[in-house]
Amino acid sequence: MEGKSPNRLNESDAFGALLLDIGISLMQAGANNSRIKITMADLAAVYHYEPDITIGSGSVSLILRDEDGNTLFSNIRSTSVHGINFSIISGLSRLSWSAEKNNWSQVELKKNFLECRKPAYYPRLTILFFVSLAGAAFCYTFGGGYIEMAITFIATFCGLFVKQQLTRSNFNTYFCTYAAAAVASMFVGLFEGAGILTVSPINAFSTCVLFLIPGVLLINSFIDLLDGNTISGIVKGVNALIHTLAIALGLLTTIIILNLKG
Amino acid sequence: MADWINILLKAFWCGSAAVGFGILFNVAKENLIVVMLGGFIVGLIKFSALKYVSPSIVLASFLAALVMGIYSMIIAQIRHEPLMTYATPSVIPLVPGVFAYRTMFGLIKLSSAAGDEYSRILSDTARNGALTLFIILSFVLGIIIPYQIGKDISRKIVKKGMV
Repeated sequence: MEGKSPNRLNESDAFGALLLDIGISLMQAGANNSRIKITMADLAAVYHYEPDITIGSGSVSLILRDEDGNTLFSNIRSTSVHGINFSIISGLSRLSWSAEKNNWSQVELKKNFLECRKPAYYPRLTILFFVSLAGAAFCYTFGGGYIEMAITFIATFCGLFVKQQLTRSNFNTYFCTYAAAAVASMFVGLFEGAGILTVSPINAFSTCVLFLIPGVLLINSFIDLLDGNTISGIVKGVNALIHTLAIALGLLTTIIILNLKG
Repeated sequence: MADWINILLKAFWCGSAAVGFGILFNVAKENLIVVMLGGFIVGLIKFSALKYVSPSIVLASFLAALVMGIYSMIIAQIRHEPLMTYATPSVIPLVPGVFAYRTMFGLIKLSSAAGDEYSRILSDTARNGALTLFIILSFVLGIIIPYQIGKDISRKIVKKGMV
């Protein structure tokens, strides 16, 4: 490191910090470990650095070296925020490709990264409507009729609304899942109790909570396990399992309260 | 209703479900049509396989996910996007919600059942639980196999380019 100019060191400090920001943003957006590593390594290669990247269940550590093997930067960053945002993952994954193609400076890279990190979100009502439509669609594919579809639509709408409200109030994520499952299934149960349904609402019951299924976590868990990131894979798998149990508990609450016979 | 119309209708609703989850996962607007087409393909393959190939829902889910994985890999390569952006919302219609519900409901009933009733519920619950597990495994593996193969091919291309 002795032979390196202060400019080069400052530059690598700034670049290292930016790379860690990108890694953490990808993690927060729900990317799997392999995606985080590939994106960071590709970006480092574009700017002629050789990275050593280690990803934990909630942290990213990075060592940057130059072509001669001298360590220029070493740091670790962690996060406790985890969500799902595919726009961020897409935008950040394209960064290395765009940086190489357009010959971006590090300043331009940072500017584009900040733009990618704040993507446009769908309006809340749009999310509620389309996710509820997805619930109704599931109901149809599982053999439900149009009345069941309508009930599933409203039940999903209520469940998702409750989940969004609780998430905004910073409640525990598993509790949010439990409460949303309980509210959505309770809604279907009330219809059955009121005698509006002539058939057993099994399709409406089982599909009104499908928006809570941790599909991304489950797939990422298996990808991490197959990639050799065993601990991260197990953490994600256990996380998905607890969400699934919270859904089951929500359904159980409704079944016990309304004394449903299935 | 003719079988093929029923299959097309179910495929259409699978596509709609995929769009709903695409919006929930904040997939960019320009990618939603790809996600919808992915969901449609998943539904088409799953219900066609169930009708014309084998009544096994595990096999049908695996085939649907495998085709979806290949479709996502091709689109991802063309658009320079991660495969999961397209694959994850599109395979959500394969989630075995009804079997999972029956398993959970069976477990609840087991706690108060006795005698012959207990054996019948236990066998139904075990069957539904196994089906749930294998369907989830089949569609996750169906997606991961093309993903891993695509990654290996990309690595080889990069290595060749370096030599």
